Amino acid sequence: MSQLRRILCLLLVVAAMPSWAGEWLPQKPQTLVSDYSGILSAEQVNALEQRLVAFNDSTSNQIVVVVTPTIGGDDENAAAQRLGEAWGVGQTEFDNGVVILIKSKTADENWGAVAIATGYGAEGALPDIFCKRIIDDQMLPALGDGDYYRAIVRALDVIEPAMAGEYSFAQYRKDERRSALMALLPLLLFIAVAVVVVAIYSKKHPGQGPGSGGGIYFGGPVGGTWGSGTWGGGSSSGGFGGFGGFGGGSFGGGGASGRF
Amino acid sequence: MKKTGIIIAIVAVLAVIVLWGIGVNNRLVTADEGVQKAWAQVENAYKRRADLVPQLVATVQGAADYEKGVLTEVTNARAGLDNVKVDPSQLSEEQVAAYQKAQDNLSKAIANSIKVTVERYPELTATQGFRDLQTQLEGTENRITVERGKFNEAVQSYNTSLRRFPASIIAGICGFEKKGYFTAPEGADEPVKVEFNF
Repeated sequence: MSQLRRILCLLLVVAAMPSWAGEWLPQKPQTLVSDYSGILSAEQVNALEQRLVAFNDSTSNQIVVVVTPTIGGDDENAAAQRLGEAWGVGQTEFDNGVVILIKSKTADENWGAVAIATGYGAEGALPDIFCKRIIDDQMLPALGDGDYYRAIVRALDVIEPAMAGEYSFAQYRKDERRSALMALLPLLLFIAVAVVVVAIYSKKHPGQGPGSGGGIYFGGPVGGTWGSGTWGGGSSSGGFGGFGGFGGGSFGGGGASGRF
Repeated sequence: MKKTGIIIAIVAVLAVIVLWGIGVNNRLVTADEGVQKAWAQVENAYKRRADLVPQLVATVQGAADYEKGVLTEVTNARAGLDNVKVDPSQLSEEQVAAYQKAQDNLSKAIANSIKVTVERYPELTATQGFRDLQTQLEGTENRITVERGKFNEAVQSYNTSLRRFPASIIAGICGFEKKGYFTAPEGADEPVKVEFNF
C-alpha cells in the first residue's frame, strides 16, 4: 500500500514538473507575432508578421514578438529565454533566434516589462549591452506612452540590420544540403559494403543463396541496438515559404530587460 | 546434430546479450558526453562572471574616495575559485558541491560589494560604465541560471538511465558512476540574488 502511494507520489511530481516552470507559456504558434493581450490591431500584427517572415526568409534569422498579459511568477529575462527554448526559435544549426517579449500592463498588475532574449548564435550580433540600449533608448519611451507597436518597430529597425550580416539564407541552405548528404553517407557506405560482401560470398559458395550465413544474422541486432535513438531527442522540423515553423534554436540566457 | 543446434542457440543468446550490453554502454557514453558538454557550458558561464571581476574593480576604483575594503571580499572569493579543481569526466556529487560552494561565495561577494558601492558612492551608479557593468552582470547571472538548469537536466537523464534495471548491471560492469546536481545554496531557499534595480 505504501509502495503504491510512493509510486503515485512520484507520478504526481513528474507530472507537475513541466508545468512548474513557465506555467504561463503559450502553445507554440504558427506565426512569428503573437499578441495574447489584444493590444495590437489586426493590421499592426499583419504588418509585423510580414516583416518578420520576410526577414526570416532572407536571412534565416527568426525574430519572435510576443505580447502577453502574464509571465506567471517568472522573471522577465527567464520568461523570454524559456519561451525561446520551448518554441525553438531560430535554426538548430545557428541558434539564431531572438525573442522580444512584452508583458503588458493589466488592470491587476500595474507594471509592464520588456525582455529581449538572444539565442546562442545571436549573442554575437546582439550583445547584452546592445539589447539593454535598445530597450532603454528605443522601446521604453514608446512603451511608457502605451504605444506598443511603435516600440516594437523601433526595436526591429535596430535589431534587423545588426543581425543581417551574421547569417544569410544562402549559407543556411548550403549547410542544410551538406548535412543532408552527410546523413546519407553511412547508409550509402553500408549498402556498398553489403553488396561487396554478398558478391564475394556468392562467388565462394556458388549455388547457396545469401541469408543462410551467420553474418547476416548478426547484422540485425547490431543495427537495431546501436541505431535506437533514445538519446536523440531534441528538435527538428523546419521548412520555408510563408512562415514554415520554428527551427529548433536554443537559448542560453543572453539578452536584457527593462520595466515600464 | 541436436547438440550443434543447442550450441548454436546458446551462442546466439549470448551474442544477443553482448550486443544489448554494447548498446546500453553506448547510450550511457552518449549521455555522459551530454553531461560533459553541459558542464563545459556551466564553466563558460561562470568563467564569464569571474572575468567581470576586474571590470567591477576598475569601476569602483573610479570613485574618488574609494576604500580598498569594499573589494577585498570579491578578490578573495575570486582567488578561491582557483583552489577548486573539477574533473569533467567525473563530476561526482562532492566535486559539483565544492565547485558550487566556491561560486556561491563569489556570488555573495559581488552582491555585497555592489550594495556597498551603491550606498557609499551613489554618484558612481549614474555613470555609463557602472550601468554597463550591471547589464553584463545581470546577463551573466541569467546565463549561469540557464546553464545550471540544462546541466541538471542532462545529469538527470544520465543518472536515470544509469540506475534503471537492467541497464544498471552494464553500468556497474563498465564503471559508470552517478553524477552530482547543482542545488539551492545552503542557508537560503532562494538562489543568491544580485539586485540591480536601483
